[in-house]
Amino acid sequence: MTTAVQPGGGNAARPSPSGLADVIDTILDKGLVIDAYVRVSLVGIELLTIDARVVVASVDTYLRFAEAVNRLDISQEKEGLPGLVGKLEEGGAKHKTKGAIEAAGDKLRDFAGDAKERAYSSRGRGGED
Amino acid sequence: MASSSDQQRASYVYGILPEDIELGSDMTGVGDPPGRLRVVRSDDLAALVSDVDPARPLGSPDDLRAHKEILDASAAEVPVLPLRFGAVLASDDAVATELLQPFHDEFSAALEQLDGLAEYVVKGRYVGPRILEEVLSGNPQAQRLREEIRGQDADATRDLRIQLGEIISDAISAKREKDTRALQDLMADHCAASFEREPTHEDDAVHVAFLVETGQEQDMEKAVEALARKWEGHVELHVLGPMAAYDFVGTTQPGG
Repeated sequence: MTTAVQPGGGNAARPSPSGLADVIDTILDKGLVIDAYVRVSLVGIELLTIDARVVVASVDTYLRFAEAVNRLDISQEKEGLPGLVGKLEEGGAKHKTKGAIEAAGDKLRDFAGDAKERAYSSRGRGGED
Repeated sequence: MASSSDQQRASYVYGILPEDIELGSDMTGVGDPPGRLRVVRSDDLAALVSDVDPARPLGSPDDLRAHKEILDASAAEVPVLPLRFGAVLASDDAVATELLQPFHDEFSAALEQLDGLAEYVVKGRYVGPRILEEVLSGNPQAQRLREEIRGQDADATRDLRIQLGEIISDAISAKREKDTRALQDLMADHCAASFEREPTHEDDAVHVAFLVETGQEQDMEKAVEALARKWEGHVELHVLGPMAAYDFVGTTQPGG
């Protein structure tokens, strides 16, 4: 069967065909509901819905975010941080070691300091640290 | 009321349309093997139906897709009231007498309202590393936690990880609200109605359904494209549609 959905020219913002998750978001709890129908049993949906719907902030979610931050560190380390390190040397490191990160490499520690720096400068330079 | 001559067949209903529709040949619907699509008419209304075996469960990915594709293809041509997945009546006769006739006035009025309108869903997701960096750089407490956790044993730092994750989760929620408002403001001139959907993923930036007039699609698309450019690198935006107006039916209008 053909649908009227046009995939468009590869531009991200053009209408695109739905993936299964989008289908589920759309047809399982939206649309007209009628009272008087014969119930046929529905299979498979339970499982799919859990994956595809409902965001409940939970400890699991939080841990996943923390893990993502962790991965962020790793991927940045891989890329190397020459630009950031360079910038840090220019700006002078005000980073105070908190004691908890002895094991971390210099680069990473420097990056944290630099991230702080950038946060201040984006607010208008005048950090009062 | 329904004819009980054939116990093995029931009528699966996709949606309700104006009576004067024509079906392409060879269209099939849900079920395995899929039933052939047909039209049940009553007065000025029609229902799209196909046979299903009521003894066999429904809900495979193919079933779900078939339901939606049939409705979306129809919605591109005529106004459609989409039914929620899984509506089955005992027979075509029951579709006419238990669905189309008793609710005739409501269905007619709703179809009239939907005439010339189609639904589009704009969905955006934050780009993983970027959103985390944004949140971290704007939040000294999160940065401090990040440092404390870095390189440490996962179990030993569980509480700190939870704290960090909660900060990020809250920050993303706040951002999501702000970005959703921005999208809705931007679209206000290009849509007849909008409906904010629940986020479906913790990285969701926006998830909003819009009812768009035929002829306005290009304006709508341009507006979304402009936003996509503005958010490039931060949010990946997608437009789904045109589709049936799933988000705009289903609640009974008081009074009618």
